[in-house]
Amino acid sequence: MQFPTTSRPSRRRFLKQAGAITGAALATPWLGNRVFAYNKPIEIVHWSWLAASDGEVWAQMIKNFNDAHTDKGIQIRLELVPEEQYTTKVLTAAATGQAPDFGWGTAGKAAQMAKDGVIVPLDDLISASGLDLSDFSDASVLASRYPKYDNKMFMVPMDLMSLQPLLNLDHVAEAGLDPAAPPTDGASLLAWGEAMTKREGDTVTRSGLLMTGSGVHPTVTWGIVAEQMGFERASADLKTAAVNAEAGIKAMEWVLGLFDTAKVATRDVTDRYKAFGVGQGSIFWTGPWTLSGYMKQGLNFASFQMPNIGGTQKTYFEMGGLELYVQSDPGRYEATMEAVRWLSDNSFLWTTAGRGAAPRKSILANPDYKTAGIPWDKRGAFIDGMAIASIPEIPVLDGPEFTIYSGGNFLAKTLEQVWAGISTPEQAMAQLQEGWQKSLDKG
Amino acid sequence: MAPRIFDPNRLPTEGATASATARRPDFSEIRRVDWAGYVLVGFFTIPFLVFNVMPVFFGTYVAFTEWRIIGTPEWVGLENFRTAFADKWVAGAFRNVLVYALIIVPGVTCLGLAAALFVNQRWPLATLARTLFFAPYVVSATVIGLIWVWMLDTQFGLVNHYIGYLGIAPIAWLTSPEWSLVGVSIASIWWDMGLAFILFLAALQDIPKDLTEAASVDGAGPPERLWFIILPMMRPVISMVITLQVISTMRIFSQVYVMTNGGPAGSSASPIHYIYQAAIQRNDFGLASAVAILLFLVIIVVAFGLRFVVRERG
Repeated sequence: MQFPTTSRPSRRRFLKQAGAITGAALATPWLGNRVFAYNKPIEIVHWSWLAASDGEVWAQMIKNFNDAHTDKGIQIRLELVPEEQYTTKVLTAAATGQAPDFGWGTAGKAAQMAKDGVIVPLDDLISASGLDLSDFSDASVLASRYPKYDNKMFMVPMDLMSLQPLLNLDHVAEAGLDPAAPPTDGASLLAWGEAMTKREGDTVTRSGLLMTGSGVHPTVTWGIVAEQMGFERASADLKTAAVNAEAGIKAMEWVLGLFDTAKVATRDVTDRYKAFGVGQGSIFWTGPWTLSGYMKQGLNFASFQMPNIGGTQKTYFEMGGLELYVQSDPGRYEATMEAVRWLSDNSFLWTTAGRGAAPRKSILANPDYKTAGIPWDKRGAFIDGMAIASIPEIPVLDGPEFTIYSGGNFLAKTLEQVWAGISTPEQAMAQLQEGWQKSLDKG
Repeated sequence: MAPRIFDPNRLPTEGATASATARRPDFSEIRRVDWAGYVLVGFFTIPFLVFNVMPVFFGTYVAFTEWRIIGTPEWVGLENFRTAFADKWVAGAFRNVLVYALIIVPGVTCLGLAAALFVNQRWPLATLARTLFFAPYVVSATVIGLIWVWMLDTQFGLVNHYIGYLGIAPIAWLTSPEWSLVGVSIASIWWDMGLAFILFLAALQDIPKDLTEAASVDGAGPPERLWFIILPMMRPVISMVITLQVISTMRIFSQVYVMTNGGPAGSSASPIHYIYQAAIQRNDFGLASAVAILLFLVIIVVAFGLRFVVRERG
């Protein structure tokens, strides 16, 4: 009896077909990029972590660039990467020769990447692109440089952000306070906090000064107050850690006092952004990235400058900017720098509706700068307040362990022991001094 | 339909069977390899070797090096293990995970068993109860964590609201070092119970009815039937659930990350959370790999220990 055999492929034929299919599948991405590349414009790959309301404005900026360059053979492809995974993904991509062309960075936090050659020095590229460095504030250019790496610029500054207090105007009216004369020093800040705090017995149910019991907020509060009191995480020459430790200890006691003595804050808040948005707090220091979100939410609020709590009025300073990542084809740098130059030159939208103050003098001098975008009563403190924003990052290899705006670094974990009553301020300061000194010694 | 397998020419001739076993195989038959089989197995084996086996060996190697992705790993010997043993946060994370296991494993086992016994009675609404008990397991741990953050909120959470009726003062489930571990455990028990429940229910339905009926005829009440018949019959499944749950709890991460981020003051941190922070946030892959190896060893020891403590057979 003969069985039909036509439907059953031979082993040899099966292997051939399987090999062909596998080969085609593996080659598809390569073919897609290479074979058809001749009729495609240059595509600049840009990674960003901006995902909140500021992310929408940034996406608009990229769209504006692409619209303006439709016929010029260059387009930007924006890809979103979660912030906490950002550095790891950039490092992995760079190690495999697949790094994006440019991305967002924070000044002073990328010394390790500068050392490893993952981010590219920009001085020559900036001059070749025609980007006018003299239009940038001196502070922003200074913050873009890494003194330990030939003092080269590794970032094009895009926005200057400071931490300033927001004020819930409904709570202010309820407490009979004058919103035109917000607190200016530690005593008036505590008085305002007391006036707006609500309690049931001994339990704070609405924080006059919104805090959390752990994480970023108490850490950054300590950092600001400590620096105001004269504490320095590292000396100016980056050789000695924890200068004026006494001031650092006093600042820890001040933060503890908010919970335990003045009782104007509770440790029970878990999500500070949400808590302020739903009225669980009256005064909340945060960055300009929250403004458009709260506006959309319909929250009745205004901003004012960080009071002088410790002796010298200062607040935390963070500069966002664009970094170029190492490429296997150096020919891409020129096109990427051209895109970055355009974004910087056209950053009026970003620094009025997105976040932060403009680092460009020409934008600050624009007569429309105060009236465009988010209303000035909400945005103004973040622009004018840059004058007191002088607490920067520490530009060393272990820079992230020094940042006061962190919820999980060495500083935050050490301080959490104090907030939880496990360590004394003195013990915590001794640990900080020892740990930071080791970090500074590494370079 | 396998026409070529049936080949009358290759059938053994009469009386040839015995001699065939004795004769040496033909050289062409030895060389004949069924490559199609290897190709089919390769679709699984190659990715398994590349994505599972190789990373284990590479991770072990990295544990003895200093490596931050860029550049070649630099051999540092046992330095990462020394750092791990000296780091109080590592010790704290391992201590926490043992406490997690002490709360979550009995909680999941007892509640899962109770729920299975309840549903197995086939009382009215048993089908609905079966769905409700299993439903949390289908939801991702991240969603469970986010829901429980609100449920356990000190000021506005439902849990504190209801225990308030019993005259109990609000508990800072997630914001105090004393309670954060319990808060995360509650969410984990609620999430993990679904799998234990379904395994116990399947085991209960496998118990022959005549055994329990015979016991009833002999005068055994529900407690006696449970203790002398049902639980011994379920011993293998109970053992398996406890072992799986211990291993799962040792690897706890998502709930911790979403609900407390390990805080306050590391009171709810777990080894995987520490590994995540070391690797992804600080890019210290050597230390992260060293702690991962330590965790692996602890899990091996605990799992083997459990084989003696909770034996499947008496």
